[in-house]
Amino acid sequence: MHEDSIAANIADWTQANAEHTDASAEKAWAHPGILWGVFAIPEEQVGALPESLEGLDVVELGCGTAYFGSWLQRRGAHVTGVDPTPAQLETARRLMTKTGIEFPLVEAPGEAVPLPDASYDLAVSEYGASLWADPFRWVPEAARLLRPGGRLVFLVNSTLVYLTAPEAEEEMVGTELLREQFGMYRVQWGGAVGVEFHLAHGDWISLLRENGFEIEALHELRPQPGAVDPTYYDFVTVEWAEQWPAEEIWVARKS
Amino acid sequence: MSSADERIAANVAQWTKTNREFTDRDAERKWRDPQIYWGEFGTRDEWLGDVAGLDVVELGAGTAYFSAKLARAGARPVAVDPTPAQLDTARRLQRETGLEFPLVEAPAEHVPLPDSSFDLAISEYGASLWADPERWLAEAARLLRPGGRLLFLTMSTLAHLCTPDADDEPIVNRLVRPQFAPWETHWEGYGGAEFHLSHGDWIRLLRRNGFAIDALHELQAPSEATTHPYYLVIPADWARKWPGEDLWECTRTR
Repeated sequence: MHEDSIAANIADWTQANAEHTDASAEKAWAHPGILWGVFAIPEEQVGALPESLEGLDVVELGCGTAYFGSWLQRRGAHVTGVDPTPAQLETARRLMTKTGIEFPLVEAPGEAVPLPDASYDLAVSEYGASLWADPFRWVPEAARLLRPGGRLVFLVNSTLVYLTAPEAEEEMVGTELLREQFGMYRVQWGGAVGVEFHLAHGDWISLLRENGFEIEALHELRPQPGAVDPTYYDFVTVEWAEQWPAEEIWVARKS
Repeated sequence: MSSADERIAANVAQWTKTNREFTDRDAERKWRDPQIYWGEFGTRDEWLGDVAGLDVVELGAGTAYFSAKLARAGARPVAVDPTPAQLDTARRLQRETGLEFPLVEAPAEHVPLPDSSFDLAISEYGASLWADPERWLAEAARLLRPGGRLLFLTMSTLAHLCTPDADDEPIVNRLVRPQFAPWETHWEGYGGAEFHLSHGDWIRLLRRNGFAIDALHELQAPSEATTHPYYLVIPADWARKWPGEDLWECTRTR
C-alpha cells in the first residue's frame, strides 16, 4: 500500500527535476538567507528554527536538491540530506561540487531512513517528507533519529489549502470548501503522478504526541509585503495567502 | 469604563437576554441529565477521565449545568460566570436538585479565587469564546495546580471563517472572512463580543501561559445529531463534514 506512493513520488520528482528543480537549484543554493515556502518568507520573520545552528546535527527528510540543507550547513550545522529521488540528489551533488558546500546525501524515502537512532539535534522537512511521505511512517522515523530534546520542524500546506484546492492539479485554490475535512489523509490530485499526505491539525498533534513529541508551535505563514505569486508551484496567489495561511510550520520537541 | 469592562458588560447584557429567551428554560433538562456532553451536538465526553475528588473551576459557567454534571460525578466544582441572571437560574436548580456548589459572579478575565487551588479548569462555550484569551488563559494557569488540566471547547476556527456577518445566518461551505484578522469579533444584531483564534495562535498563547498541548479534538457531529434549536449557527450536516467545534486538552506544566 505504501511503497506505491514512494515509487509514484520518485517518478513525479524526477519529472519535476527535469522541468524545474534542476534549473532552479543553483539560484536556491546561492541565496544567502533561509526561506520558507512558495512565498520565500525569511526565517527571521518566522523564528521556527533554533537561534543558533552552529554545530547541530541536522537531518533533512525529503531534501530534493538539498538547497534548504545547504543554507543550514552554511550556518555551521552538520547536515545529512535524505531523499528517495536519484535525479534530485545528482543535482545536489553537482551544486556541492560547484559551491564547495559538502555534506552527506542518502538515497532513501522519509518512511525508512538508513541512519542510526538518536543521532540528530534537529530534523527538518520543507515540502519534503512532510507532504510526500506517509506521516504515520515518517514521523516515527524522525522521532527515532532525534536525540532527546531534539527538535522537529516541518512545513506543509495548510488544511485550508487542502479543503479549497480544486481537483485538477493545475487550478488555484479558491474559497469554496470542496472536500470534507473528516478522513483527510492520502491525496492524488487529478492529473498528478505523485501522492500527497495531508492531516488536520488535531491529527498532527495526536501523531506527534504518540511519537513522544511536545508541541511547541504552529506557525501559520502569511506572505511578506511585496511577495509575488508563485510561478512553478502556482496553486495559490498572494491575494489568497494574505487572507488565509497557505502554508504552516510545525515545531515539536522530542521529550 | 475601560473598553474591556464595556465588552464584559455587553456580554452580560447579551447573556441576560439569552437566559430569558432560552438558557433558563433549558437548564433543568441539562442539570438532571447525568451524562456529560460537549458542545451543541451532544458529543459524549471521552476526555475528562475520573473526576471524583477533583477541585474543578468552570470559567464562564452560565447556568452551571456542566459543573452540576461534574458534581454528580463526585468532583468539587466552583462555577464562575459574570451574568447574574444565569447564576440565579443555577441557584434555582441547586435548590431543586440538591446539588450544591459555590457560584462566583466574576468574568473569567479576573477570577477572585486563590492561586494553585484547582486540579481541573473547564470552559465549554464559556470564557473560551466570550472572554479575552490573553487574560482568561493567564487566570486558568494561575488557578490550576502544577500538573492540573485545562479542557475547553469553542467554535472551530474553520466554522468561524465560514460564518456570514449577520448573527442569524447559518455558516456556509465557503471561506467568507479572513483568518489573518483581529480575534475580537462583533456581530450585527448581537450585543457582546467573541474571540476567535487560529490554532497557531491558541498554541502560542497556551505555551506562553505554561501549558503543554495534549490534544486538539476537532469534533464531528454524531450521525444522529440535529441542528441546535436555539443557537442554529452550525448546521448538523455541515458539522458532519467539517469540525464545527474544537476541544483543546492541555496540562499546566509550570
